Amino acid sequence: MEYRLDRNVHSLLDPRTKLLLLFTSSVFVVGNAGERWMVVFYWILVYLPVLLLLVEKEWVAAGIAGAIYVGCYFAQMALQHDLTALESALALMLYIITKILPTVILARYIVRTTKVSEFLAAMKRMHVTDKLTIPISVIFRFFPTVAEESRAINDAMRMRGIEMGAKKATEAVEYRMVPLIASCSIIGEELSAAAMTRGLDVGKKRSCIWNIRFRLLDWIVMTLCAACFIWWGIGRFYV
Amino acid sequence: MDNNRLNAKDLINVGIYTAICAVLCCAVAMTGVIPIMMVLLVVFVPIITGIPYMMFLTKVKKFGMILILNILMGLLMWVTGMSYYALIVGTIAGLAAELIFRAGKYNSKWHGIIAYAVSGLYCWANYFGIFFNADAYFSTRQNFGQDYIDAVTKMLPTWMCPVLFVVDLVCGIIGGWIGAKVLKKHFTKAGIV
Repeated sequence: MEYRLDRNVHSLLDPRTKLLLLFTSSVFVVGNAGERWMVVFYWILVYLPVLLLLVEKEWVAAGIAGAIYVGCYFAQMALQHDLTALESALALMLYIITKILPTVILARYIVRTTKVSEFLAAMKRMHVTDKLTIPISVIFRFFPTVAEESRAINDAMRMRGIEMGAKKATEAVEYRMVPLIASCSIIGEELSAAAMTRGLDVGKKRSCIWNIRFRLLDWIVMTLCAACFIWWGIGRFYV
Repeated sequence: MDNNRLNAKDLINVGIYTAICAVLCCAVAMTGVIPIMMVLLVVFVPIITGIPYMMFLTKVKKFGMILILNILMGLLMWVTGMSYYALIVGTIAGLAAELIFRAGKYNSKWHGIIAYAVSGLYCWANYFGIFFNADAYFSTRQNFGQDYIDAVTKMLPTWMCPVLFVVDLVCGIIGGWIGAKVLKKHFTKAGIV
């Protein structure tokens, strides 16, 4: 996974708005709160990440996501009747895809368009302690790294003939886990050195080159999120 | 500088090991779509995450790191669609684990193993939804099919709750012990620890 370091315009949404959107999406799309009552907002939340990808000019990703959505929709239409075992397994897979994919796209969008310093500054603005924000930003930086390392290690182990699901299962796990942890811990050392250079440890207030404030688009998205929760509250307590 | 305060290096370590544990948890938890694996997750997750966790404990020398890791794991569980019980139980368990590990002066092996077993309780907390609020829990999983729901409900009557608690602790101890062994075999020899 690559990061766009050469951008000098920042993304359209404020980091805080992005997090609110992620939270809303995880409550209403993955968590499926409200069910039928929320169906309009549900579809808005499902298609919003694709729209965001288009806005950020990620044509390929947006195209793939849209194609998967449409494909899943028609497949689910076709699977409405009584199901055989194979079909119900397929329906389960489709269900997981349609539930999780929008949030995954959103999370990927957030990771790719938010700079770490932007995120830290926005969190500082919300008075979140950096004892939480620094680990969180490291986690987001680290997910792609862990995936990449484990892919490389997996390849190396396959070359040595140590396959997952072979008769020595413990060996297969151990030989993957140990190099993964070793290389991650070394990358971590380098990361701490880099953080030290950037003065993360000084304890003074850090300045940020990005001008972080809410713009029109932020207010629109935040109104949408608030509307989701209010509509859900109405459905829950008054109807 | 005050030596007992967490500095950037500690916080980055917390982040790294949380990421590793979360990726492993996620990879193992994917198998939960099979009903029997759903129950056995409480066995596999503590055993698999034992190795990175014990490695993490070798870096812990100050109060607060285990607690932060547990809060973050709870948050991740919550965001990825498990219940918020994991966050609550994880926070309390993290505090308990922190105190246990501190009692061992941050370098005792057995204190570390027990601290790992205790802090792994967030895994057990993920089942609370099934025990205490089954209708709501399965309403978000209707499409898994009635067979799946029946199978999981049959395997998890309410009296299984304390059983899973014990299983989680025991598997945590086993996982921590395996972790400590692997650590000794590979990392102590190589001088990474």
